[in-house]
Amino acid sequence: MDWTALELSLRLAGWTVAILLPVSILFGRFLAFRQFRGKAVVEALVMLPLVLPPTVLGFYLLVTFGRNSPIGQLWQDLFGSQLVFSFTGLVIASVIFNLPFAIQPAQRGFQAIPAELREAASCCGMSPLRALWKVELPLAWPGVVTAMVLTFAHTLGEFGIVLMVGGSIPGETRTIAISIYDRVQAFDTDSAAIMSAVLVAISVSTIAVTFALSARIGKRLS
Amino acid sequence: MALEVSAQASAPIPLDVAFRVAPGALLALVGHSGSGKTTLLRMIAGLWTPGQAHVAVDGRTWLDTGAQVNLPPHRRRVGLVFQNYALFPHMSAAQNVMAAMDQPDPVEAGRILDLVNLQGLGARHPAQLSGGQQQRVALARALARRPQALLLDEPFSAVDRATREKLYAEIIALRAHLNMPVVLVTHDVNEAQLLADRMVVIEGGRVLSQGTVAEVMGDATALRAMGIRELAAMLPAKVAEHLPDGLTRLDAPSGPLFLPHVGGPPGTRVRVRIMAHEVIVARTRPEALSAQNILAGTVAQIVPGQGPAVMVHVAVGGHEIIARITRRAADQLALRPGDPVHAIVKSMSVARDHVTPAGSDIGV
Amino acid sequence: MPLRLGRRFLLAAVSSLTLGAAPAWARGDAPLVAAASDLQFAVEDIAAAFEAKTGMRVRLATGSTGNFARQIREGAPFEIFMAADEQFIADLYADGFTRDAGDMYAIGRLVIMVPHGADLAPDAELDHLAEMLAAGQITHFAIANPDHAPYGMRAREALQARGLWEALQPALVQGENVSQAAAFALSGNAEGGIVAWSLALAPQLAGRGDYALIDAELHSPLRQRMALLKNAGPVAEAFYAYLMAPTAREIMARYGFALPEE
Repeated sequence: MDWTALELSLRLAGWTVAILLPVSILFGRFLAFRQFRGKAVVEALVMLPLVLPPTVLGFYLLVTFGRNSPIGQLWQDLFGSQLVFSFTGLVIASVIFNLPFAIQPAQRGFQAIPAELREAASCCGMSPLRALWKVELPLAWPGVVTAMVLTFAHTLGEFGIVLMVGGSIPGETRTIAISIYDRVQAFDTDSAAIMSAVLVAISVSTIAVTFALSARIGKRLS
Repeated sequence: MALEVSAQASAPIPLDVAFRVAPGALLALVGHSGSGKTTLLRMIAGLWTPGQAHVAVDGRTWLDTGAQVNLPPHRRRVGLVFQNYALFPHMSAAQNVMAAMDQPDPVEAGRILDLVNLQGLGARHPAQLSGGQQQRVALARALARRPQALLLDEPFSAVDRATREKLYAEIIALRAHLNMPVVLVTHDVNEAQLLADRMVVIEGGRVLSQGTVAEVMGDATALRAMGIRELAAMLPAKVAEHLPDGLTRLDAPSGPLFLPHVGGPPGTRVRVRIMAHEVIVARTRPEALSAQNILAGTVAQIVPGQGPAVMVHVAVGGHEIIARITRRAADQLALRPGDPVHAIVKSMSVARDHVTPAGSDIGV
Repeated sequence: MPLRLGRRFLLAAVSSLTLGAAPAWARGDAPLVAAASDLQFAVEDIAAAFEAKTGMRVRLATGSTGNFARQIREGAPFEIFMAADEQFIADLYADGFTRDAGDMYAIGRLVIMVPHGADLAPDAELDHLAEMLAAGQITHFAIANPDHAPYGMRAREALQARGLWEALQPALVQGENVSQAAAFALSGNAEGGIVAWSLALAPQLAGRGDYALIDAELHSPLRQRMALLKNAGPVAEAFYAYLMAPTAREIMARYGFALPEE
């Protein structure tokens, strides 16, 4: 059991959730309530990481943040180290490829709120911020939590992009998914089996929570 | 603290309306669906803005397209009761009420809930309340805002008849506590006649008729737009004596009225609704007639109706009764404005719920 | 209640942020050693001996030589690179990624490996492979990826030398590195494969399959070279020195590596 790898995976998922939570709420709400030209394009872009093969995403991330890119070189000058093969690089990659998981369920959660309720909130004297806090967020909450649970689980399981952008650096970018791969190649099936079982357990509980929450979305509003 | 409204627009629906509501008065916006009445209400609330409009309350301008003033709803002190209540499902009734307060005050919320007859139900969530109860919560929430204008958007259309009658009575009783202008949107003329002091009849965004209820009810164009079948007159009366045979004698303009038992001790002031098609007109005072209610008056005007009918407006003691009779009858009697006539109403033809307590005659 | 669960979950997720802090190399952690996959087991043993003797730790990453070379060029934070082919070290040195030209640490050998009880019999000249191929009895055969794994490149050379390369194309299964190729070869889904001798000798694989050393004349030699990278620190230097010392050499010999007499 590679505890470092598990800790790394949990930390990566944790950071991703922390960064994407406000994004999920604000951007999900924005897409739910606003109509504007080019909205379909924006929604398609958000969906993109969902349909792109992870290796394509990994490739573009390497091109964008790698050593020979402007961003990579800026990072090198500022911090004296590379963005790729680092945990920070993984976090950036993780935030990007989790965008659809973080935004879409939240968007649906906000969309499910009847327009009348938001009008009523306004007529009750609530400023838009107050209305978000007291009316919209409580009602959209199941959608937001679903988004975060999916993001967490998806990050735990991500392999291709993590491998491409992070390599398999023990203690830095060797997440538990990578570690399983590594152990299989080393003919250490026992370790691989234990770590796989742990991941399955986490994933199953994630699915259970998501299902329970989805049932709540409908109930909340009836 | 009067509410002044004017609006002109060509899209998305045509609008050309202007009216004024005095504090404490209730104005009914009456029209069919699509007539623009709900749109107007939403405009007053700040949920919609037409091309040209002006909304001001108590001298404070909420909307003035000319001066680029357009306060969003949360900056207007407006109380809006939605047709489908729009209660916050995740909050209890009391919390819903407190949501509209500047400083949430559970004691005040309880007081308002008592006012709308929801004592002890503050902890319940909307899903645990009946339609009528939800409507009262919506009203309580609107009142908790301490609004400068109270707007009711077809608030009774989603409840059953029995509940509706009850709610009418409660609204009338509540009028004493409402010292702000109230605008009621409805498609139901009866409702308007029962609750309102003034009426504005709208069709296709245009005002067909506006004025006091009595004035509008005498307007031919308005009558036709509203559907003449429902026409009635409201006669003020005072309970004089409860008779042992189950009738109540009331003092009405130009004569006594005998109706099946009317609630309230002698002295209670009521409004009696007399349906136009239940009124018979006679040139001379009939004798040996079963009808108990014979009121002397003068023909005020004769308005042609649809088909074979005409509406004869009979002035009785400063008020009006409308009689819907055949043109043939009117010709036979050779009725002319100014002729002295008698209006005859069967006691049994006045439904129990057509006698309602008189609200204060404010701002008529 | 699912919603409370949701809130608790978020709290747990966000608190996992506090696990660990600064990046590994900034924490002054054990240096990273990039080792070609054929060294999979050998270098583990050497690192364990190193820690036992000095108390210092290194962190090992194994994979294909070519892949590591690419990562190093992209700034991967390795401090030692043990390649399976000296050309990669020479190129990195020329481009300024290594401290110096490095040192040869071993000569590797290829074996043909088959699972126990397989029809294919391993032999030095690949004769039986040729026979079964001609009879159309080879469905899957594993080698490391010849594009970036030295052992894969040599496997290709050997097969080409025997004129079997073209015929084997449809059955060829490529592993990311020679370790993965070995896993494929022994999986039971392939008739066998060409992998590193060092892997065949490992206790973890012994008993899983049979093998035969491939005639070294059939391919260019596997001259394995290692070097310290630009950012190598004192622990890396110590380990590097240890690799050239008798204990490490003994371990390498156990894994079939011929030691260079430099």
